[in-house]
Amino acid sequence: MLYRTAGQFKTSYKADMALFPVRQDAVLLAVILALVWGVFPLLASEFAFQTLLIPILIYALAALGLNILTGYAGQLSLGTGAFMGVGAYACYKMVTLFPWMNPVVAILLSGLFSAGVGVMFGIPSLRIKGFYLAIATLAAQFFLVWLFEKWGWLYNDNASGAIQVPNLDMFGIYVAGPQASSLVQYYVVLAVVTLMTLLCINLTRGNLGRTWKATRDMDIAAELIGINLLRSKLMAFAVSSYVVGVAGALFVFMWRGAAEPNLFDIPLSFRVLFIAIIGGLGSILGNYLGAILIVGLPVVLNTLPQALGLPISSATVEHLNVMIVGALIVFFLIIEPHGLARLWALIREKLIIWPFPH
Amino acid sequence: MITLKRLGTAVAMTALLATGALAEGLYAPNLAYRTGPFAATGIPLMNGQKDYMELLNARDGGIGGILIDFDECETGYSTEKGVECYEKTKGQAIVTQPWSTGITLQVLPKTNVDQIPILAPGYGFSPMADGKVFQWAFNIPLSYWDGASILLKYLEEQGDLSGKKIAFLHLDHPFGKEPLPFMEQEAEKKGFELLPIPVGLKEMQNQSAQWLQIRRERPDYVIMWGWGAMNAGAITEAVKTKFPMENMLGVWWAGHDADLKLVGEDGRGYKSVSWSFPNPDAPIMADLKTHVVDPGKTQSDAEEMSGVFYSRGLVISMILGEGIRVAQEHAGTPEITPADLRWGLENLDITEARLEELGMTGMVPPFKTSCANHTGHSGGWILEWDGAKFVKATNLIMPDAEAIAPLEAQAAKDYAEANAPWPANDACQM
Amino acid sequence: MLNDIFIKPFADMAAAPDFLLQVLWEGLVSGILYALIALGFVLIYRSSRIFNFAQGIMVVFAALTLVGLHALGIPAWISVALTLAVMFALAVTIERVVLRPLVGQPDIILFMATIGITLFLIGGGEIIFGGENKVMITEELGIPTGSVLLEPWGGLLILEQKDITAVLVAAALVVALLVFLNRTRMGRAIRALGDDHQAALSVGISLQTVWVLVWFIAGIIALVTGIAWGARAGVSFALEVIAYKALPVLMLGGLESITGAIIGGLMIGMLEKLFEIYWGQPLLGGNTETWFAFVLALVVLLFRPQGLFGERIIERV
Repeated sequence: MLYRTAGQFKTSYKADMALFPVRQDAVLLAVILALVWGVFPLLASEFAFQTLLIPILIYALAALGLNILTGYAGQLSLGTGAFMGVGAYACYKMVTLFPWMNPVVAILLSGLFSAGVGVMFGIPSLRIKGFYLAIATLAAQFFLVWLFEKWGWLYNDNASGAIQVPNLDMFGIYVAGPQASSLVQYYVVLAVVTLMTLLCINLTRGNLGRTWKATRDMDIAAELIGINLLRSKLMAFAVSSYVVGVAGALFVFMWRGAAEPNLFDIPLSFRVLFIAIIGGLGSILGNYLGAILIVGLPVVLNTLPQALGLPISSATVEHLNVMIVGALIVFFLIIEPHGLARLWALIREKLIIWPFPH
Repeated sequence: MITLKRLGTAVAMTALLATGALAEGLYAPNLAYRTGPFAATGIPLMNGQKDYMELLNARDGGIGGILIDFDECETGYSTEKGVECYEKTKGQAIVTQPWSTGITLQVLPKTNVDQIPILAPGYGFSPMADGKVFQWAFNIPLSYWDGASILLKYLEEQGDLSGKKIAFLHLDHPFGKEPLPFMEQEAEKKGFELLPIPVGLKEMQNQSAQWLQIRRERPDYVIMWGWGAMNAGAITEAVKTKFPMENMLGVWWAGHDADLKLVGEDGRGYKSVSWSFPNPDAPIMADLKTHVVDPGKTQSDAEEMSGVFYSRGLVISMILGEGIRVAQEHAGTPEITPADLRWGLENLDITEARLEELGMTGMVPPFKTSCANHTGHSGGWILEWDGAKFVKATNLIMPDAEAIAPLEAQAAKDYAEANAPWPANDACQM
Repeated sequence: MLNDIFIKPFADMAAAPDFLLQVLWEGLVSGILYALIALGFVLIYRSSRIFNFAQGIMVVFAALTLVGLHALGIPAWISVALTLAVMFALAVTIERVVLRPLVGQPDIILFMATIGITLFLIGGGEIIFGGENKVMITEELGIPTGSVLLEPWGGLLILEQKDITAVLVAAALVVALLVFLNRTRMGRAIRALGDDHQAALSVGISLQTVWVLVWFIAGIIALVTGIAWGARAGVSFALEVIAYKALPVLMLGGLESITGAIIGGLMIGMLEKLFEIYWGQPLLGGNTETWFAFVLALVVLLFRPQGLFGERIIERV
């Protein structure tokens, strides 16, 4: 009923291809945007900001970047964590070398560095495919993390080998570092994530996006119809790494406050991959759904025994947590291999034709 | 709709948490790790810490008549989880015990804003000793630089260090790199050659490359800054490559009984600096048996309880307990705030007499803190593995304060500058 | 600089040949273990096109089960038998619960499912066995623990007896596997299924039986690997990270090739050790073993996209 499309007529191709062919989608999105821009920030506690809202947005952005590469262009990557690291270290170097630089500009620029590194490690994709490529991206993963550890210049040679976010301000308000308030950081993250999402939606719907999909579905066939594979694949690596790099910079500057090299190690890559896959490969919405599930679930699981008064030690909870996440991954893959986004799409279809299913 | 529902649940959970976590007593969370590759060395420590607080609650009804709500938040030694735990607990907690140098570094700048003391006994960031700069951080009773200094002093007693070669086998992690600035300074001053050998987190259990390097370089001594699975890996490799055990020394976290039991008799002569020592005859052990072990409140066992790490866990909780007691006396109320606890930790005076009252004679050297000295610099013993257990090989050795202090002041100053604006404690006149 | 890269390392090798031999031996032993893990991957990949990420955790799980059972007071060899039973039960469960509903899904979905299995086993294993490091029951299993000292060219070469045992057992296991795959009915069925699912099904090969069987064999390999590696460094969850080392081995050797897994494993084991000792430590600050194998495999793949021994990839539109 809510989703009935009766009375909405499309009279041109343009209308049919619009971002929101169904008016209710636009309304729903407006409601969500109002919630995340207006309502949540007013209601959320410090804990909610730090363990749910900010990380969900950042992880969703990272998954979005990965999804462009894996979901749209079909190149499986296991090196997301390292590319996030490149973004974070680039941002750190920029704000320490040029303290006058606007932090948000620095974050947006840092993506360029990871895009460059991404293209470099993307070159083998022209010859290597499938799992071989996935393992090849692990070369980037391990090599870059090693470099973060060994190249003292990257962390200004400080003793601990970790990078620490200094206090950075923008128009007199602290946006990064220990003095920054969660609310401000949330808005910065939200703004960047919204911007990136818009950009990605349009990219994937445009010429480039169609080129990627053709490459994904069968690269030799794509080549035969005149798609330049070199350009298509490397653009996918560049755009994906750019988004991932920005997510990495946000990850450290807007959320963590400090980072050591092994933060960007393989568990982070897998985490982002889980989000992209559980959310749904080849979908934008899925990244958000996946991030909500993967980031939110452990938080909920951790608070459950306490709330119910169960006498389970925190270590056991943590183990159970890992088990449940593992089981959930298998479960979701079995019931809906195309992820939460497809699940939502099915529900939406049902709603549109409800209550007359035929 | 799913989105909304999910977010709705999340927000509801948060609201629940904000009201639900209010338990009676003083909330003193511990960011423990009983899982992951470092769990092996973590568990006995966590057990010791927990049992001490259980003992106070069961025997004395807490501290100053108020129960201690000692709760664990599992981190798995992951910095990310640790920060999550910090955010989760800081609302009600009077203290944060981060339990990893990585987490400490991450949380350190936030404590100034959140006004909550970090208690990092024997770990964390060495310059935290400078209480004027690091108002809220404590690494009682010894810092890593103190530990390195004690080890070097001990080696100097064995013979002049100039011209010697010392390999520094360390975990490639903020924890392992901590003592490097001090070691480099000392290498220059004392004229020995320092050979840092990093062990990556992925190589902890397979250190054959590192030990091949040691075999090639033939160092006179190996100083090990290891943790978790790295220690067992290094000690077995040392035995295998026939490195003379008496020339291998470790930080206090590399002196875990279970690691040495792996090699048993072959490990004889291995040494570790320590600021804690098990004393099975101490009255506190008998009390623990009556009040904690017999009622079945412990997760530990007899073998673990006789080890170095369990007793160190007891000492760590003792430091917190004494901090709370001093703070309560100062504040005049048992319900202290984090700021009160900071005062308490700054005014600890653990004398031999006090240790005897606590029933912990010989388990930790006496020490005294102040608003300028957040470490206490208690000094430490060199423990030696005799093939079956650790024994004290030396009397108390004091760190070389003259060599450490300027380095500490400089590092603290650099830190404050890099994190400007950084509030200093100018009220402290010491 | 050029001297440090091209001349000095070789001069060092020539100057201390006993040390070079030691380096190669250490590389060989780790290479054998990489090869064993890679072998588990290859078997499963050949028969089901599943890239089984859980092989690493199966090693840990098998070793922990063995040590845990023995700690209950069960004699060593009976513990081994019981562990094998547990691995069999695990194989059946995985096939029933995870693989059967996922038949025919794209590769990446199956790959993700094995990551799910990995997480499940890590969490479950920690609850059952606890996180602390345990000692492998080396002596109880009759594995010699001393070391053999050789003195080539007046130098010193230390060969640990348990490493020698590991090398011999691994070799025997590989031979047994090859015989099994090439000479028995079941073995041929596994290979047939790998070549063409539908053709194999149509001649009456049961997919379920074969899958349970390969997962069980992978479990046996995991147990052997777990014993050998556990004897070197103790048994704990940190062992899991060595599983990553098997991945470049697979790239180098080819996902389908058993010979490739073995030769790739040995090559990577020895080359990464040589590189670390003679180039990595003096020039790059050490710890190059974390990435060397991957970069080497990447370079090889640029020239041979299917690995050294993999089947040629033929693509049709």
